[in-house]
Parts: sequence; structure tokens; C-alpha cells
Amino acid sequence: MRLSMLPQVFVQMFKKPFTNKFPAKYTPSSTTRFLENVQNGKTKINPPVETPPGFRGKIQYDREKCIGCQLCIKVCPSGAIEFKPEEKKIKIFLARCTFCSQCNDVCPVNCLSMSNEFLLADTDKYSKSLIVE
Amino acid sequence: MKQQITKTTYQLPIGPIHPALKEPVMFEFEIEGERIIDVNVALGHVHRGIEWAGMQRNPIQILYLAERICGICSYCHPMSFALAVERAAGIEVPERAQYLRVIQGELERICSHMLWAGVAAHEIGFDSVLFLTWQMREKGLDLTEYLTGNRVTKGITMIGGVRRDITNDMHPKIKEALQYFKDNFEKLRHIFLDDKTFKMRSQNCGVLTKEDALKLCAVGPTTRASGVKKDVRLDQGYFAYGDLDFDYVTPDVLTGEVHGDVYDRIIVRLLEVKQSIDLIEQCLNLMPSGEIISEPKIPKLLAILKKLNGEGIGRMEAPRGEVIHYVKFTGQDSPYSWKVRAPTYSNVLPWIPMLKGGQIADIPIVAASTDPCMSCTNRVAVVHNDKRYELDKEELHRMSIEKTRRLMT
Amino acid sequence: MTTEKHLSSEEIVKSFENEFKNNITDIRVEKRTQGVKKTEFMHIWMRVGNNVFKEAVRHLAKLDPYTHFAVSSGYDAGNTIDLVYHFSIYHGTRHKEISVNFTVSLPKSNPIIETITDIFPGAIISEQEKQEMLGVKIRGIPKDTRVFISDDFPKDMYPWRRDETGPQKMIRNLHKEAEQ
Repeated sequence: MRLSMLPQVFVQMFKKPFTNKFPAKYTPSSTTRFLENVQNGKTKINPPVETPPGFRGKIQYDREKCIGCQLCIKVCPSGAIEFKPEEKKIKIFLARCTFCSQCNDVCPVNCLSMSNEFLLADTDKYSKSLIVE
Repeated sequence: MKQQITKTTYQLPIGPIHPALKEPVMFEFEIEGERIIDVNVALGHVHRGIEWAGMQRNPIQILYLAERICGICSYCHPMSFALAVERAAGIEVPERAQYLRVIQGELERICSHMLWAGVAAHEIGFDSVLFLTWQMREKGLDLTEYLTGNRVTKGITMIGGVRRDITNDMHPKIKEALQYFKDNFEKLRHIFLDDKTFKMRSQNCGVLTKEDALKLCAVGPTTRASGVKKDVRLDQGYFAYGDLDFDYVTPDVLTGEVHGDVYDRIIVRLLEVKQSIDLIEQCLNLMPSGEIISEPKIPKLLAILKKLNGEGIGRMEAPRGEVIHYVKFTGQDSPYSWKVRAPTYSNVLPWIPMLKGGQIADIPIVAASTDPCMSCTNRVAVVHNDKRYELDKEELHRMSIEKTRRLMT
Repeated sequence: MTTEKHLSSEEIVKSFENEFKNNITDIRVEKRTQGVKKTEFMHIWMRVGNNVFKEAVRHLAKLDPYTHFAVSSGYDAGNTIDLVYHFSIYHGTRHKEISVNFTVSLPKSNPIIETITDIFPGAIISEQEKQEMLGVKIRGIPKDTRVFISDDFPKDMYPWRRDETGPQKMIRNLHKEAEQ
């Protein structure tokens, strides 16, 4: 049967499109003007798809609980964690992090956890929003 | 004075970055008109030195390095490595962990075959099927994200077990996704196997005989479509496959005969999707209770592996074929030797008998039918003589679509 | 494929020992189990002398006409280069496949070994890889080209070796260069 896809295409014309229109329905012609409008409240950003629980997003670090054992540095596959010897605390560089959460599993006092933040793009590798300490 | 008319052949390089193949491979074809006389394949364009990088790291770091060898087989490489280490060290994996590993592996197989189905349809020129199959694949990826935390780099392997459990309150969501796949499977089967467009483009095209498949040691659906019964899950078994009830998938299960062409490969992959859905349901019913990892304290595991002296191999059936890892420990932090062999390595040489005698416009669909994954492999090349001109990706793709239109009228 | 008799792993080891006497050493047969039903599978490891290597491969190919060659790995063991060939036999029947691994030791001063592409045509890529990565010379190889490394890489540098011909000079640490 030659036109087996035709019924499916016909049905699709009346259904809601599957794409989730994040952040806007069509690409804005000027990104800076779009962002200004969002700041003023003139346009709204469509929300992204909900993340499930257990999603591995940006890492969160509880400074008080950390004991400085350096086990997380030993297991990190990309070398994203640095030790600060004077304070005995760590510094995590998100530009190198692979979001594997192996450091969470190995920490003996559970001071590391993963949040569900994933909108982390930035222009500078070492900016404040990409270093967790 | 009589002039001898000599027949010469043209050289056609279809170079690394832009073939109609989605993967960097270099082909050198010797063509006469539209027919291909000879072909040579070249690898090496994505060589990243991963094995050398692995020898500077400890085994737990290598698990995440192995995951990034390939995006589609991102579950099979760390699992094979974990199997090799467990066999070298004599670590026993708990039974519940073995069943959990099977479920994740079969889910990855469903997603990979759906992606392949979309790519194959795109190479023929049937873009609406591409979007339909990739829309169905989204359900599989959503389920993966729910079970492991990420859509592609799952990070669920650990030496001695798995990192996350599947508790009873997760079962309804899994069953809902499996029901969705089962409901839409008949739609896919009707489009791929009954549609005249697919049949006329793929039957008797890119034939690989059984003798060639055995001699060149091909693996995976490429060789099963030629009638060879080769599947690591059934031949030797690993994880919990020894307890489950399934059989080899060859084209004569559906049609009764074996040709070894592109159409047979489509049949094998669609039947494997059905088999995977069935296997996941069997596992959910039979799963025993117990631990999910044999050594939960990671510093202790690292200490055991540091004192180890031994070697081991781990073999697994990835969506594309047999993956084998070899690892050797000599009592240091990092392994002394690590060798990875991805399935496309063995499926490169069968391209030569498949493409000889075919047409240029068939190159995209034949190469895509073996499901190459060049991030796992490399290149090959051969060159011959005088006249050479280049055909880039858009040109090849356009030629493939034009052939479909020509055959339809 | 299932008409030949399937030998057990002990019988296979015995047939090799009878044929090659003391050129085969370090034989290990590992039996492991998997799943709840504890299905068994076997791995056989052997160390084969270089002088009988081709005959041993032919002997293995006689046991099963459809022997599968997976890959060959290799490493630099100080004074010798060790190559490990991974085969598997008896595929096609459920739970009957046995993995057989041969380890061959070649002295670094004379690392020459016979090709197996006349028995396994699919082994050509593995053999080309050993030639360029470890500096092994394969006698009788049909096509002597580089397969993974680009052609402008220095000819006498072997990336998998751990001595002075290793890749130390070619390594660039990008994060250290950025700091300077």
C-alpha cells in the first residue's frame, strides 16, 4: 500500500504539536530585546518540561558539614574539584563537571547533593555562577 | 587508423566530514557510470586516545570515561568494563542487580533501534516517518531520565552492581511507557514492512551472504539478517539472561526466508524492539529482592582493586553487536592495559561486498543499514588513479531522494 | 553448525596439550555463574609460544569451522611485548559458547609474528592496529597501511609503549598551556 503514512499525517494536522515551545514560540529576531521584555514583564517565557525527581543538575555544597577528607577529589573523573588546604574545604568548577554525581555517593558525611537546575550557560568559564565553594 | 576505445573507471572519494552518513568515514569508490565496481573504506577520523587516557585513571573514573566513548552505546561500554573488572577480581554481583542491569540494557536497545529507524527513513527520503519514530523515542528517553537522572549519559553502572534501584512505586510509570510502545508497534510495523516505498528501495539492495558474514566475523543485527545465529545474550549469557525466555531473531521468524539485504535488516531490528519489550516485562515479574551492589563502601572497593593482579574480558550485546573489553591489573592505582573493541570495528569490512555492484544512490541507505557508530571506531581509505571529483553530503542525499521519486513513477 | 560434536573445556585443553606439549603454558580455565539459575560459562586462557602460534590457531579453527575472532589486544611488559588474541567458539546454540584467549610473548628486539588473515579475513584491522601502536611486525600481512593514526605522526613512535619510543613528547596538557 503506497500511501500508508497519509492517515497518520491527516490525524496529526488536528493534534497539538509535540514540541514544547521553550522559551518562545518562534526564535526572537533580537535576543537582547527579548530578554529586556522579559525583565520588564512584557513577555513571558514558556516553562521547560518538568524534570523528574532524582535529576542530576547543578551540584550543591554544604560547607559546614565538609570534613576535608578529599575522597570526592579521588573519584571525580574530570578533575573538577580542587582542595583548599588552609580551610580544608573544596572548590568545584562547574565548567569541568560532568554531572555524574559520583562525589555525592562517596562523601562520608553527605554534604553534596544535586539540584534540578540545568540552565547554566555562561560566557566565562570561571565566572561566579559556575564555581561552587 | 582504428582507435581502441578503452573503458576506464572513475574514482569517487566520499570524504570524512561530509558523507551522507552522519558519521565521519572516508569511502573511495571506483565507479563506472552509476555502478560501483570496487570500494575501500578508511577509518581514524575520531581517534581520541581514550585507551591511553584510561591508563592514567583509577577504575571508577574509567567508568565515566568509557560512557563517553559513544552516545548511543553509552550503557554498554561501562557495563562491559565493569564485567571485565568483576571477572578479573572475582567479585560476585547480587541477583537483584543483575536483573536491574538487564532492564536498563533493553531500554537502551529500544531507544537505539528507534533512532536507527528514523535515520533509515530519512536516508530514503521519507521524512515524516523520521519525525514519527523520534517522537516515539521521546517516551523512551523520558523513562530513562526518570530511572537514571539523565537522558543519554546514564551513569548507572558501578563495579559490583548498579547505583540506583527500581522500587515498586516506579513500576506503574514503566508499565505505562511499555504499553505506549506496544500500542504503536503495529503502526511502525505497517509503515516499514508493508509500504511499497520501503520495499522497492531496500529489497535486493546491499546483500551480504552468509559465507561472507561468517568469514569477516561480522556481529550484531548485520550478521543476524544474513541468517547467522550469533548473539552474546544467548550464546554465552551474562547478567540474568540465562533465566529469561527468548530466542535468536533472524528474518525467517517473520517471512520464512533469508536474503541478507537491507529489508531483512529492517525486519531484524523491528523484531528486536518487540523482544526487548517482552524481556523487560519478564524481568519486572521475576525480579528477586536483595542488595543492589556487592560492596557499598567505595574506598574499600578502590583498595581491593589497587591490590589486584589479574586479567579479564567482558562481552556484551550492544544494539549494534558484540562489545568486548579487556583489562589487566598489576597492583597499581590504574589498570596496566585496557582494550576496547566496539561492534562497528567488525562491521566495517562487510561494507565492501555489500556495496560492490550497487548504485551510487544506494550508498546512504546501505551504509546506514549496518548502523555505524563511528565514535566507537575509525576510518579506512584506499585510493586509485586519475579522475576524481567530490560529491558532498547534500548531493548524495539529493541523489538518494531522486532515486525514490524515479522508482515511484 | 550444530552437527559437530561440542567438546567440553577440559577436552579442549587436553587436545591442545597433547598437540603442542610444552609450548603451551599457564593454562587457566575459569568457570563463572550468572543469574538466579546459576547458568555457567567458561573462559579458557593459555600462553602460547611464538613458534607454534599459527598452528595453534589452525588447531582451534578445526574445532569449530565458524570460530569467531573478536579482537587482539596488546601491552608493553618491560622486555617483551605481549599480544592477547580473543576468540570464541561454538556460537549458535544456547549457553554453549566458550571464550578462548591466547597470550603470545614477543621479545622487544625481534617482535615478529605470523598473520592470521588467511584463516580469519576479518582480522586485518586488528593486525594493522598492532603494527602502528606497538611496533610489531606482522609477517605476511596483505595490506601494510596505518589504520587509526594519521599519516603525519612520526614513524618510530609507538603510542602504547612505555619506554623511550612512547608518546611522551607528543602529549600536550591544554590546561597547563592556558595558564602560561
